[in-house]
Amino acid sequence: MATVRTSNTISLPLASRLTTAVVSLLLGVFIIYGVGLSHSETLHDTAHDTRHSYGFPCH
Amino acid sequence: MLVKYLLATIIAGLFAGIILTPAMYVKNVPLILHAEEYESAGGGGHSHDTPASASESAAVTPHEHAEEAGPELPFGRLGNTLLINLVAGAGFALITGAAALFLGHRITLQNGIYWGLAGFFIFNFAPAFSLAPELPAMPAADLAMRQTWWLITVILTAGGVYLIVLREQIWAKLLGVILIVAPHIYGAPEAEDLTSAVPPTLASEFAVSALATNLFFWVVLGTALGWAIQNYASSELEQ
Repeated sequence: MATVRTSNTISLPLASRLTTAVVSLLLGVFIIYGVGLSHSETLHDTAHDTRHSYGFPCH
Repeated sequence: MLVKYLLATIIAGLFAGIILTPAMYVKNVPLILHAEEYESAGGGGHSHDTPASASESAAVTPHEHAEEAGPELPFGRLGNTLLINLVAGAGFALITGAAALFLGHRITLQNGIYWGLAGFFIFNFAPAFSLAPELPAMPAADLAMRQTWWLITVILTAGGVYLIVLREQIWAKLLGVILIVAPHIYGAPEAEDLTSAVPPTLASEFAVSALATNLFFWVVLGTALGWAIQNYASSELEQ
């Protein structure tokens, strides 16, 4: 157990990681689309300063 | 489903989003507000729009733009920015956590900073190389075209970083460099008319301060990811 803690790789097989990875990726992409790229006016105005600061194309 | 892993990722993202907010207010937000004064002053092709003459200043008072009634959420400028930073932090954390999970690599307290630097390079530095962070009222090409270029650049750069960092073969590293450089050789969409009401000094200050702030954000996020996953989710990853 102690040796696993220092390892930089995950021993869990891909099959048991895949669902979480896909869910996490989809959720993250959905969020970043909403924050940075969506043309919704409400989202644009709310996220305005973050979009500029983050370097997303804005306006 | 590795629920603890997901929760640890989200917690790290929220934390980085909170920390990002005051960092943004050091330089970025004041510069945005300053630039918006020029936006309300008319913009367009005039180079004499700066409120140089005191007698004329009534026509270009900086406050006219401040109360632009937009359909934004009702938490005030700071509240909205904090909310969006929290959400964005979680989003970037989820994407980074997902990448590590796909690749079978563990984000730890020790290597977290490298994951953060990779995220900074992919999401901020590479796109900024051809499409610098811009202030309001600056001339820019069509929004959808710039967004498409941004997205393609981020995806190609992510692939490039993977090939260079995690693949041993020399062909993979070469291909990685090509992927990273390609969108810049192709070129980002550029505005046809580059005359701007925003002074160039403000623009260059903003480009640098935006990148510096985002570098700080990603270092915090990477480290927080390593810490949170190590402390809350390591039992899930050991089978």
